[in-house]
Amino acid sequence: MLPESSLPFRIQHGHILPGFLDVQDLPWLRVLVDEIDRFRGTPVRDLLERLRQPLPCCCPPFKSRAAKAVLLRLWKGQPDAAIAPGSARQALFCAAVDHETAPAAFAAAAKALGVTAETLARVLFADLPGERLVCAPDVIPSPTEVMLRTNQLIARSLLFHARRVRIKVEGAVRPLVRQAKLRGLLCSVTSGAPPILELSGPFTIFRHTLLYGRALGEVVQFLPHCAKFKLRAECILREQEATLDLQTGDPIFPSESPKAFDSKLEQRFARDLKKLAPDWDLVREPEPVAADDTIIFPDFLLRHRLCPQRSFLIEIMGFWSAAYVTRKLTLLERANIDNLILCVDERRLCGTETLPAKARVVYFRGHVDARRVLAAARGEAIG
Amino acid sequence: MRLVFDRGTIVLVGPTRPGDCADLPGALWDQRIAATRCPARFHPALVAELRRRNVRFVDEVAGHASGALTKNLRPVELRPYQEAALTAWELAGRRGTAVLPTGAGKTRLAIAAIVRAGVAALCLVPTRVLLDQWARAIQDVLGIVPGRLGDGERRIDTITVATFESAWRHMHHLGNRFDLLVVDEVHHFGCGLHDEALDMSVASLRLGLTATQPRGQPAAKLAEIVGPTVYELRLDQLTGEFLAPFDTVVLHLDLNAVERADYDELMGTFRDTMRVFRSFHPHATWDEFARAAAQTDAGRRAIAAWHRAHKLLAFPAAKRAMVGTLLKRHHASPTLVFTADNPTAYAISRSHLIMPLTCHIKRTERERALALFQEGKLRALVSAQVLNEGLDVPDAEVGIIVAGSRGEREYVQRVGRLLRPRPGKRALVYELVLRGTSEMGQARKRRRALAA
Repeated sequence: MLPESSLPFRIQHGHILPGFLDVQDLPWLRVLVDEIDRFRGTPVRDLLERLRQPLPCCCPPFKSRAAKAVLLRLWKGQPDAAIAPGSARQALFCAAVDHETAPAAFAAAAKALGVTAETLARVLFADLPGERLVCAPDVIPSPTEVMLRTNQLIARSLLFHARRVRIKVEGAVRPLVRQAKLRGLLCSVTSGAPPILELSGPFTIFRHTLLYGRALGEVVQFLPHCAKFKLRAECILREQEATLDLQTGDPIFPSESPKAFDSKLEQRFARDLKKLAPDWDLVREPEPVAADDTIIFPDFLLRHRLCPQRSFLIEIMGFWSAAYVTRKLTLLERANIDNLILCVDERRLCGTETLPAKARVVYFRGHVDARRVLAAARGEAIG
Repeated sequence: MRLVFDRGTIVLVGPTRPGDCADLPGALWDQRIAATRCPARFHPALVAELRRRNVRFVDEVAGHASGALTKNLRPVELRPYQEAALTAWELAGRRGTAVLPTGAGKTRLAIAAIVRAGVAALCLVPTRVLLDQWARAIQDVLGIVPGRLGDGERRIDTITVATFESAWRHMHHLGNRFDLLVVDEVHHFGCGLHDEALDMSVASLRLGLTATQPRGQPAAKLAEIVGPTVYELRLDQLTGEFLAPFDTVVLHLDLNAVERADYDELMGTFRDTMRVFRSFHPHATWDEFARAAAQTDAGRRAIAAWHRAHKLLAFPAAKRAMVGTLLKRHHASPTLVFTADNPTAYAISRSHLIMPLTCHIKRTERERALALFQEGKLRALVSAQVLNEGLDVPDAEVGIIVAGSRGEREYVQRVGRLLRPRPGKRALVYELVLRGTSEMGQARKRRRALAA
């Protein structure tokens, strides 16, 4: 994260205006990338010293600081030493106790290590961050990529100071909720079109804390995968409260695409069904469904291509804890879905009385049989 | 009603409505989950209050490591003043801070407190180096391997040592597993930065340890989250009998002509901007100045000049020569050299062939270096920060303070590194101060702090 003092932003009437990089910044970004790449193979400290000096072209100071931070993560320092620097230090500094002069100590230590005194001098601190050699990434990023990566870092660093984040989001809601929960955030989902996610930390109600800043910031990288989003964060920056708005189209570098399936079980089912029923479309992560004050995310929507009113929500309940199954079944019951096909692992041993009354239930063991799911959709008896 | 631990907080699950529990200690209505929530540290007060009101509740807060220490641990032998500190802590309801000088054996006192309390304990330490040291000390004294959280390890046990940073990050799932919190160098808390680590623990027993008593606002906050100061001893009360006596020698040095010109020019650039800023904001803090300065070219130049001036003071030619002279003079004595930054430590290491101990040196190498220093196979160690706090350095007689960056507290801690007692030992501390620079004022403040 960038420290607050290095962040490019302004606060105007309680709104944070991030200093995102745009196409006008590409010329100096190109110069910066070239300048950094010149230092491959040289000690990191030389590169850092160079970056403290101005570039041979005009560049905005805060934006360039952010871009440098991004590039220094890509051009990493690698130690290059013929012998372990730790062993070299121990041998030399112990030898220095018994020898009057430095050359004598070097010679004695080098002899003990089986290297020359010059090699010993070179590797002595080769593992320290400043002494490591600059190593270029496999693919040199284009200035546009650097621009997007820098913007992502700026957005994340601003959200680091957030207290609460609200996101109106369409498409790919589930991965976002999953990511938020994985990071220990409280994630409440308000049903609606589109649904609204509210992310915050449990401790947030007591005072402003940076404890959840990293987790809130990391959400940014998943937003570009949503079809549409609008984010509003309540932040505390420069000791004042201000809101940050981000939305679809903001130039932010995305994370890697979220995994298409939660499990191999789902992946195999999708593959089998697509092979088996060419007239049916299987939609992964369809629109969420309201259940009381929250919403649930069915795994699939199965829809007949020529007769779209024949559509079914499919929920696969695989290997989860008993508490999860109970909660999930309660939510499904409350959601009162007419067209639900519930695939239940036989080993879960759910009694039929706990299953949603309207659901068509397909039991499975090991893998979900696509034929039986299709039969359930066609209203045939499930064998 | 049920009390449930939820990521560093206590949630009151049950038939409560907004306002029902508003007057319970630390409690607030959390609209997000439609329940009452309070920071975990209020758990003991919350339970007491619910009992006082005869409210029926089930307490489901305790985590699985929480509870009594299962192993029968032998009592720890203490020095008289350590025993007095422990008794004072116990009389204060096992909540409070003991202020003892560096080298007085605070770790041993903490281990004795853990044994006497007989409950699951989490020890918080500021650095990875101290994490090792505490884990080793617990193993040596009690014969059990404690859990470790930090420096790449995540092993939780009935007694666990964690760095502040790791505790801060993980207290949301550790907060209900320990009944005693021991906080080494407790003065780091109370200013809001990592205070959540203490707020998110249910531990009712808390022991803070420090050599330098915090004052003002942080002290009040510390009294709230750890407990008040229950015992305090000054350095001069222990020197002679339990700590080695020492002499300080201040060596006043001069910048050479080139350095002086550079320094004056850099400080001139800085002062010009500072003067203008001060005329508009006479009571502004350094942080406020830095923030304002970052907005303008002149301000950025001023800050850069200030940094370069301080870099220049860290290791100019006169200090370089004097360090050489002193190392030669005390060639036969185990010596510690303290610098303001890592580059200076490496520069001294290179030119005088002495082992650097910095945050970049890995744990195994650091341990090996300390062992070799103890055996006399290394003559000196040079460090910027690692030797500052808490680290149990083998016996050293001579200290050379080349420069410092963290004020009086750092100075007191550094001097304390040399006070491990030995019959006939008299420690010697050299302080290198540059005339006509900001170091003169800082040196005066540091000596006042040592005398206090």
